[in-house]
Amino acid sequence: MLAMLLAIPLIGAVIVMASPKRQAKWIALAWSGIALAAAMWAAINFEWFGPASAQMQFTGSWTWIDSFGIGFSVGVDSVAMLLILLTALLSSICILSSITAINERERLYYGSLLVLQAAMMGVFASRDLILFYTCFEFTLAPMYVLIRQWGSSNRKFAATKFFLYTFTGSVIALVGLVYIAYKAFLIHGFWSFDLNMMQSAVRLLTAREQGWLLLAMMAGFAVKVPLFPVHTWLPLAHTEAPTAGSVILAGVLLKLGTYAIYRFVIPFAPAALIEYAGVIATISIVGIVYAGLICWAQRDVKKLIAYSSVSHLGFCVLGLVALNAAGLTGSVVYMINHGLSTGALFLLIGMMYERYHTRSLDEVGGLGSKMPVWSMFMVFFMLASVGLPGLNGFVSEFLCLLGAFQSGATFGVGGTLGPLGPWYAVAAATGMIIAAIYLLYMVGKIVFGPLHEPRGHHEHAVLPTDLNMREIATLAPLAILCIVLGVYPTPLLATLEHPVDRALRPVAALLDPGSQHFADGETIDDAYLLADTAADESPTGVSLALREETP
Amino acid sequence: MLELLSNIPELATLASHATHGHGAEGAAAGAAEAAHAVGAAIAGSGNKLFLLIPLLPLLSMALCGLYWAFGVKSKLPAWTTVGLLGASFGLTILAYFEIAAPGVTQIVHGFRWIGIDLSPHQEGGLELIANFGLYLDSLTILWMLFVTGLATLIALYASEYMAHDVGPGYCRFFFAFSLFVFAMSALVMGDNLLMLYLGWEGVGLCSYLLIGYFFTKPSAVAAAKKAFIMNRIGDLGLAIGIMMTFVQFGTIEYAGIFEQVDAIRASGGELPFAVKAIPLLLMVGAFGKSAQLPLYTWLPDAMEGPTPVSALIHAATMVTAGVYLIARTYPLYTLNPTALVIVAWVGGLTALLAATIGMAQYDIKRIMAYSTVSQLGYMFLGLGVLSSAGAAFHVFTHAFFKATLFLCCGAVMHGFAGQLDLRKLSGVWGMKGWRIVSVAMLIGCLNLAGFPLTAGYFSKDMILAEAFVTPGFAVLGWIALITAGLTAYYTFRVWFRVFMGPGEFEPGDEHHGDAEDEMTAEDGHDNHAGHGGHGGSSFHPHPPKWAINTVLAILAVGSLAVVGVYFIDTEHHGWVGGLVHDSTAHYESPFVHHGAAAHEIAGAHGAEASGAELAPGTFLGFDPHEALFFASGIIGAIGILIAAFLHGPTGFGGLFIGARTEAATSRADGLKRTFAPVGKWAERKWYVDELYDFLFRIPLWVLAHICYLFDRFIIDGIVDGLAKTPRGVGSGLRPSQNGLLQSYAVGMAGGLAFILLVIWVVL
Repeated sequence: MLAMLLAIPLIGAVIVMASPKRQAKWIALAWSGIALAAAMWAAINFEWFGPASAQMQFTGSWTWIDSFGIGFSVGVDSVAMLLILLTALLSSICILSSITAINERERLYYGSLLVLQAAMMGVFASRDLILFYTCFEFTLAPMYVLIRQWGSSNRKFAATKFFLYTFTGSVIALVGLVYIAYKAFLIHGFWSFDLNMMQSAVRLLTAREQGWLLLAMMAGFAVKVPLFPVHTWLPLAHTEAPTAGSVILAGVLLKLGTYAIYRFVIPFAPAALIEYAGVIATISIVGIVYAGLICWAQRDVKKLIAYSSVSHLGFCVLGLVALNAAGLTGSVVYMINHGLSTGALFLLIGMMYERYHTRSLDEVGGLGSKMPVWSMFMVFFMLASVGLPGLNGFVSEFLCLLGAFQSGATFGVGGTLGPLGPWYAVAAATGMIIAAIYLLYMVGKIVFGPLHEPRGHHEHAVLPTDLNMREIATLAPLAILCIVLGVYPTPLLATLEHPVDRALRPVAALLDPGSQHFADGETIDDAYLLADTAADESPTGVSLALREETP
Repeated sequence: MLELLSNIPELATLASHATHGHGAEGAAAGAAEAAHAVGAAIAGSGNKLFLLIPLLPLLSMALCGLYWAFGVKSKLPAWTTVGLLGASFGLTILAYFEIAAPGVTQIVHGFRWIGIDLSPHQEGGLELIANFGLYLDSLTILWMLFVTGLATLIALYASEYMAHDVGPGYCRFFFAFSLFVFAMSALVMGDNLLMLYLGWEGVGLCSYLLIGYFFTKPSAVAAAKKAFIMNRIGDLGLAIGIMMTFVQFGTIEYAGIFEQVDAIRASGGELPFAVKAIPLLLMVGAFGKSAQLPLYTWLPDAMEGPTPVSALIHAATMVTAGVYLIARTYPLYTLNPTALVIVAWVGGLTALLAATIGMAQYDIKRIMAYSTVSQLGYMFLGLGVLSSAGAAFHVFTHAFFKATLFLCCGAVMHGFAGQLDLRKLSGVWGMKGWRIVSVAMLIGCLNLAGFPLTAGYFSKDMILAEAFVTPGFAVLGWIALITAGLTAYYTFRVWFRVFMGPGEFEPGDEHHGDAEDEMTAEDGHDNHAGHGGHGGSSFHPHPPKWAINTVLAILAVGSLAVVGVYFIDTEHHGWVGGLVHDSTAHYESPFVHHGAAAHEIAGAHGAEASGAELAPGTFLGFDPHEALFFASGIIGAIGILIAAFLHGPTGFGGLFIGARTEAATSRADGLKRTFAPVGKWAERKWYVDELYDFLFRIPLWVLAHICYLFDRFIIDGIVDGLAKTPRGVGSGLRPSQNGLLQSYAVGMAGGLAFILLVIWVVL
């Protein structure tokens, strides 16, 4: 099932590259539609609720490089499945949004988008480190092409910087991850990059080793997220990228970083994470405030939204390092919600850019009286982004903050063990005010106020003054999802309960060795044995070595 | 401020006795009250029909949205809204008879909005649950009665008021209007704090959308932005308060919280830190939404919105949400006396400050806005001095008379092409077709001024008396009493200037925002000629038609009639007091009853604690409950007379003491010169806006730009610098950087292979 899901866009890419130039966009649209349908078919067959949602489903494994135990092994739990759905949806929408915007070298453009889609899905589907890493890095190539070929004036520099910056980071992360695989090799006596097998090595790591591992992994993933202060590639890449590139970049590519933290950092370096969570949280909060303030100083709308992504993803990482159920759930939901609302904002800016050829707040503004439909969507997604209750952003933002607040709270009945504390939540919550300031500033300039247009502006040759049906069709699904996930997020939260609980087991076992995370009579050591024997059971990894160090 | 206040020993300890005494002493009265507070008769499953009260406005919103999409160009949105809101009001009345009349509490479950099991591996673990559910007790019903009732009436008024904008703007207006009623219902009726937060931010959004209704006008956009952001500052406190509530109590549903609060009260002992902190955090939200110090500056600016909006949202309903929040969570407040002391002081000082500003404004809508801020201050004062009933009663009467006042101002503005300057309008009373407006205005003014035997007089008195009765708050009582005089003055200043005297006017220059064309077409006048000529030859004021007049008549009669409810259920200080008595906001201040029984209660506590200190306060040696009826009446009358003297026209219109003969000048001008520059300062709102700009906005803006420069040149500079360092080294390898994708892919694969090889070799 998953292999098919990955194959569809790849086949599509080949066909698009081979197709006549004129038809390329329609073929690409059709294939991305098929991929979306396939993803939805998978979603229908997926077991969303109960303990099964934490199990890897649709598993499949094929040998790849046998001598190193590298396999093409795939499987998804509900977290990965949700992100695959997001990817499929945003990819289709991106292709639909590009129909009139891209008028040269269409085959390469749509081919790259489809390859990108396959690579992103591969990241979420893989259960093997090398497969994961290959897909993780392979997202860079089509994105590089997209920015370099169809970007704005400074595109070459932006593309190179994007590529080198994120590539350098992830190579360091790879070194750390391979080190774990090496430790696993020491245990098992044979090489395997299967994540479950690697998991069993975690207990052999000393606290010091975990600390280094954390540093290595965060070096890679923090760049990808991006966290302050390694975020500077993002505004540049966003401003230079074509609309579809920005949507994918903000919607999915950034989530590869947070997803990797969720998938690798929490289970592989739990002890170190508990120790350094405060540092990471502080960095996130600085990022939230700092990037939020920078948004307010922008005159370029696209850059403003790019910086807002840095600010928003700070909440996401804060939720992750809260290391409790509310924080982790909030964080995963945040990944989806941010993809929807920020993706839509980039689409909207793209639509404006197509008509006015500028993104500067100095040159264009007050479009409310000229483009009412566009303006309505703009205000709507602004509100989703600002975290208005009843829309999607609120649920995730509140849960992330609540997670940070609970984590380590020492009073009441609702606190959890954890490395953070209420002050982290209070500090991060100032981001709510700053988000209101810069988003209202943006909307106040671009939608409201007296109309002003660039000098010598002509109406677009093809596009009407306000949005056409195709453009509405690209935005409407996102708007509907924003409302649905805001009004009735409970199923989404329910499907995350068990995966999150499982992801937290290593941490919970360290925080509270007597916790009920273990079945009756099961000890921490038993949990390891379980990990070693049960291949599909994602085990708890606790640093025994850590305990040995402190007799 | 907190430390400062809690260091005033008298206040803190006295309030502490007043609030704490019951549980700590385990007195019979306290126990009885604790049992009451849970809402002894919570019905298991409420009447699902009441879910329609919030949902009908939502339906109306959806319909208006559809009308917009299909380009409806008629008054259909207005009639849809009026009809559905009216139905919602009808259901509220039904709910009154089912819930408030017998004094029961119902919890109606809608659906699970947010629900997450935070420990699925464990039975009965921590769960975060926020249902779309209703907590219906008499407090809820009280609020909903005037929210839905006034909303219906004001929608009817707006159907005419907004008529110049029929088309997309009309749909947009009623869309936001309906959404507002939904959000306000969610705020008031929700059974948990997150529902309240949903409504809280929802009303903030509608306020934003409606203040910015004339969105091509920069001042409207700025005002809308200011309102939203200042509210967000308050919301931050509220949000953190909600999180702290959850961590402390493990639930955010009212029923669960109140149960635990009662348990804490019953057990006595030291209060947990969080229990003390929660009310302090929640009140920040309340101060933002209800425009109290220091977050009040957005409300006067909010007058940029269409007047029906000002009447409904920024006078009658939304701004009372803060009062509702504190009343709803009153059990938490009564545990923390410091919080109540702060609430009382913030309320009292806001009342005074806003009144002083209101005295010096010329824009009649702004005067009304400052009077709203000031009256809200009274309500907070009432809550702070343990008179939740007084506060709720004042909310109720204020909703009526302030809506009346705003709608009258709106009618004037509508008729005189946007003219709101009281120096440019005079003698509206005498003009043809303005009699209903004038009478309604007079009734509103009398209520606001606290003229004896009006509803506003009784509700204000309840709060004033309580301030004097509760020991330690006499200073605030005096402040509130002086403010009452100021209120009477500035209210009647408007009356004597605009409605009395010689008939003169100068039409405004702005014609309901962007809709001049419709106006011109409708009335056949060229409104642009407004500047200059007095009552210029080309402009004729157009008096309101049936919709506006009907609504004004109903509201004026209503404002007068609500005085009647004070004499129903006198045991609990009126009907409203009775409703509050049956709700969780009920709190029996030991100082309320001045008879022997109360002395007994107070004595019982006092004897065990710190002696005679606890005796109820007096007003100059008299019983405040009786003396203040006279005192506040006299003060109010003095205020009115001063207004007549300074602003009244000659003859009966100025009560025979006025001397004004034209619109633009009055005796007050001389007075203002005498007291310069104080008058100027008050006119410029004591420069608080400028102060905030200077202290917060500008530094933050500068910081934003510094951050941006830092980001561009320092952080990114380092990155680029690092990237350039290997350039020299890399020049030898330059052929590899050929920009071809294939070679990068090869390089990547090669690198990967190399790393694997290294590991292989190491092994």
